[in-house]
Amino acid sequence: MSSGSQSTVFQYVAPFVGVLLIAVGIAGAVPGGYAILEPDLENCGNPTIGVESPEMTAERFGGETPRPRVARLAFEDLSEAEQTAFREALDDAVGEAQVVGAVPNADAFRRGAVVSYQGEDHYVTIVAENTCFQAAPLQFPLGVFAIALGVLGILTPPLYRRLIRLEQRAKRSE
Amino acid sequence: MLNRAAVEGTALALLALSIAFVWVRHRRASRPESDGGYTTREEVRYEIGRVQSAAYRWLTTTNHRDIGLLYIAFGTVAALWGGMDAMMLRTELLTPPADIWTPETYNALFTTHGLTMLIFFVLPVFFGIGNYVLPLLIGADDMAFPRVNAVGFWLLPPALVLVRMGLLIQVTGQVLNLFLPEETIRFFLTVREVSVGWTLYAPLSVQQPNPQIDLLLLGLHLSGIATTVGAINFIATVAYERAEGVTWGNLDIFSWNMLVTSGLALFAFPLLGSALVMLLLDRNLGTTFFATQGGGPILWQHLFWFWGHPEVYILFLPATGLMSTILPKFVGRKLFGYQFIVYSTLGLGVLSFGVWAHHMFTTSADPRIKLSFMAVSIAIAVPSAIKIFNWITTMWDGDIRITAPFILCAGGISTFIVGGVTGVFLAVIPIDVLYHGTYYVVGHFHLIVVGIIPFLMIAASYYWYPLITGRWYDTRLAKFQSLLIVFGSFVTFMTLLVIGGLGLPRRQAIYPAEYQLAQQIATVGAYIVGLSALLWLYNMLASYWQGAPVSTTDPWGLKRTGQFTREWQWFEKRMIERYDMEPSEPETRRRSYAPEGEPTGLAGGVGTVAQTVSRNAWMAAVGGFVGTVLMSGGLVTAILIGVLDPASFGEISELVGLGANQTVGAVLFLVGGTVTWPLIFLAFSEYLPGRLLFETGLVFATIISSGFAIAFYTGQSGLALVGYLTFVLVSHWAYGLGLTVTFQFLKSDEALRSDGGAFGR
Repeated sequence: MSSGSQSTVFQYVAPFVGVLLIAVGIAGAVPGGYAILEPDLENCGNPTIGVESPEMTAERFGGETPRPRVARLAFEDLSEAEQTAFREALDDAVGEAQVVGAVPNADAFRRGAVVSYQGEDHYVTIVAENTCFQAAPLQFPLGVFAIALGVLGILTPPLYRRLIRLEQRAKRSE
Repeated sequence: MLNRAAVEGTALALLALSIAFVWVRHRRASRPESDGGYTTREEVRYEIGRVQSAAYRWLTTTNHRDIGLLYIAFGTVAALWGGMDAMMLRTELLTPPADIWTPETYNALFTTHGLTMLIFFVLPVFFGIGNYVLPLLIGADDMAFPRVNAVGFWLLPPALVLVRMGLLIQVTGQVLNLFLPEETIRFFLTVREVSVGWTLYAPLSVQQPNPQIDLLLLGLHLSGIATTVGAINFIATVAYERAEGVTWGNLDIFSWNMLVTSGLALFAFPLLGSALVMLLLDRNLGTTFFATQGGGPILWQHLFWFWGHPEVYILFLPATGLMSTILPKFVGRKLFGYQFIVYSTLGLGVLSFGVWAHHMFTTSADPRIKLSFMAVSIAIAVPSAIKIFNWITTMWDGDIRITAPFILCAGGISTFIVGGVTGVFLAVIPIDVLYHGTYYVVGHFHLIVVGIIPFLMIAASYYWYPLITGRWYDTRLAKFQSLLIVFGSFVTFMTLLVIGGLGLPRRQAIYPAEYQLAQQIATVGAYIVGLSALLWLYNMLASYWQGAPVSTTDPWGLKRTGQFTREWQWFEKRMIERYDMEPSEPETRRRSYAPEGEPTGLAGGVGTVAQTVSRNAWMAAVGGFVGTVLMSGGLVTAILIGVLDPASFGEISELVGLGANQTVGAVLFLVGGTVTWPLIFLAFSEYLPGRLLFETGLVFATIISSGFAIAFYTGQSGLALVGYLTFVLVSHWAYGLGLTVTFQFLKSDEALRSDGGAFGR
C-alpha cells in the first residue's frame, strides 16, 4: 500500500470489494425480492403442461394404441383449470400452457397421459413444475445493504481524492 | 414464474435511459452556460437542428471511420442485449430448481444469448475496429468500396431485429393486452423467443411450430449477407488500397488477421446461408433436407459446424491481431516472430475448415473419419501455441508499462492458455465423449469468448481512444475495470470448468442441489463481468465529454521505441493541422528489440553466424556433459537411498524402441543431457531471468526439473515423495551449475587465448 493520492487500498482495493459486494448483493437481493413478490404473482406451484398434436401423439406411439400404463383421460374428466390450459396449449406456438387452478390429474400428467379431445388423442405431460421460490427472509434486506455498501466502495476513489483536496486546502489555509 | 419479456424489456429500457442520462449529463457539464443555466427557445431550436443534421450525417455516411464507429456502437448494443440474457440465465442458476424462469424461458435465454453475442456482438465490433483503423494502418484513403461498406453495416440492424423479434413481439403483445382483448392480438401472444439452442439442431428446429424460428432464420441469413459483403470489402482494401511501401512482407499484423478472417467469412458464411434456406424450406415447404427420410438431421450438424468452427476463428483471429498490435507498444519491444505469427494465422485459417466434426464426436459418424478430425483438432493447437509463445517472448525482459491495455493483453493471454488447453483435451475423442454437453465445454469456450476476445476489444478501445476522440479516458477507472473483468471471467468460467469436469450437464434449468454453491460462485463472477462492462461503457461515454484533452501528438510515447505506426502518424498530422501542435519528440530514443537483427549470442557474436553457432554448440555440449555427470551423482544417491527407481531409466530406451534396458536408458540420458538440453538452454537463455549466467542456469534447471519429476515418478508417496522431489531439484541445480560454469570457463579461456593472440601479433 502506498500513501497519498496513489493509495492502492482506496484507489483499487475498496472499489474491488465494492464490486464484489454488489455482485453478491444482486445474487441475494434479486431472488430474495422475488420470493417476497412471488405470492402476488399467483402462479407459483401451478405446473405447465405440454400438449402434443394428434400427429405427434400417433408418431410417439408408433401408430398403435397407447399401452395401459399410459393413463387415458377424456377432456371432460379434466378440471376447469386443466381444460383451459389444455386449450391454451393447443393454440400455443410451442404447445405449452400453465394450469392456473386445481390440477387433480397432476400425477397422471407427470407420468404422461393421453387426453381425448374432439375425437383426437393428445399426449399431455408436465413440462415445468413451477415450484414456489424459497428464500431466507433476511436475503433481500441484506442483499440491498450489500449493494448499497458496494456502491459506496465503488465511489471510494473519487471521494478519497476529494478528501485529499480538502486536506490540502486545509493545510494551505493554516 | 417471472415474465421474461416484461423483466428484460424493463431492464433494457432502464439501461438505455441510464446511458442517455450519462451522455446528456456529461455533455451539458462539459459546456459553459453563459446565461446562468436557463435553456432558451433558440437553444432548443438549435439543438433540434443539430440532432437532425447529425442523424442525416450518420444515416448517409460512407466514411470508413464513421462506419467503424457505427459498427462498434451496434456491437455494443448487441452485447448489452445478449449480456442481459446472460445475467438472467445466471440468475436462474442461483437455485437448483427452475423457480425464477420456466425451463422454456431458460432455454430461450441461452439460445438468444448465444446467437446475439456470436453473430451480432463480436464480428460487428471487430469489423468496426477494422473499418476505423485498417485503412489508416495500410495508408488507404478509405475502404475499397465505401458505399458497399455502408450497405454492409445497415443490413445488420434489421437482421438483429428479425432475430430478436420474439422479445419485441412479446413486449408489444403484453402492452397491447392492457387495452385490447386477447383474441384480437393472438399473434403477439403466440410468438416468443426461440428456445431450441443456438445450434438450431434438426429435427427440433424443423418441428417446433414457433413462427419466430422463421424470422430468426431470415435474420441470420441477412446478417450472413452483411458479413460476406464486409469481408469482400476488407479483402479488396488490403489487396488493392495499400499505400506505397506497404508490402505483404511489412503489412501490419492486425491487417493480416482481418484479411484472413475475411477470407474465412467469405467461404463459411455463404454455406451457412444455404443451410438456413434449407431449414426454412423444411419448415415451410415440406422439403426433406434434414428429415430422416431425406438428408437426415446429422446433415444439419455437418453444414452448421462447417460454418460454425471457422466462425470460431473468425471471432478469434481479429483478437489475436489486436494482441500482436497492442501488446508490443506496452512492453517497449517489437513483436517477436512477425513471420511466424503471420504463418500461424494463415495456418489457423486453413486448418479451421478441417475440424468441424469434433463437435459431432458423440454422433454415429465413422470412427476412422472421427479420428482424422481428432488429429487435425489437436494439430490446430500448434499455430495457436506459436502465437502464445511469441507474445510471451515479446513481453520477456521488456519495459512493461502497467496500463489498462496491457492488463487486458496479459489477462487475454492467460485466459487463452487455459481456454485453449482445455480445448485440446476436448479434441480427443474419448475425453470429448465424456465431457460433451457438460459445463466443461461452456467453461472452455467462454474462457476464449469472455477472455481474449472482449479483453482485446476493450484494450483496443483504450489504446485508440485518444486517436478517435482526442481525449483521454479515466485511466484509473480503466485499470480497475480491466482487472475486474479478468477476475470475473476467471471466477465464472474456471468454476464452470470444474463443475463440468464433475459431469454437470449444460443447458438445464434444473440441477442437483450439491452444485448450488459452485453455481452461485459462477453467477457472482458473471455479475462482476457485467458490472465491469458497465464501468467500461461509463468510462467511454463520460470521457468523450469530460476526459482530459490529448496535448501531444504521441499520446503513448511510441516514438521512444520506434513504434509510431501509421495510424498514429495520421493522428499526428491531424493534430498539427487542427491545433497547430508541434510534433512531439521523445527525450530518449532506443531501438526496440528487433528479431531480424544480428544475433549476438552468448559468445558475443564474433565471426559469422555459423562460426558462432558451432563454437557455442561445442562449448554447451562440454558444459552439458559436465552438468550431466554432476547430476548423475545426485540421482545415484537418490537411487541408493531408495527414493528414485532405476527402472524408470529403462523407459527412456523403451521410448526410442530399444526395449526396457536401464543401461541403454542411462546412456541416452547422458546424451540428452549433453546435446539436447544445453542447446535448448542456449536458445532460451536470453529470455530467462538472471543477471549472471549461472543464475539463468539455475532457473533453467528448475524449470526442466518439473518435467523430470513427472516423467520419472513411480508412485512415491509421503516422505519418499518429498525425498524424490528434493533430489530431483538439487540434481538439476547441479546440472545447471555444471553447464553454465563450464560454459563460462571455456568462453573466458577462449577470450584469453584470443587476447593473447592479438597481443602476440
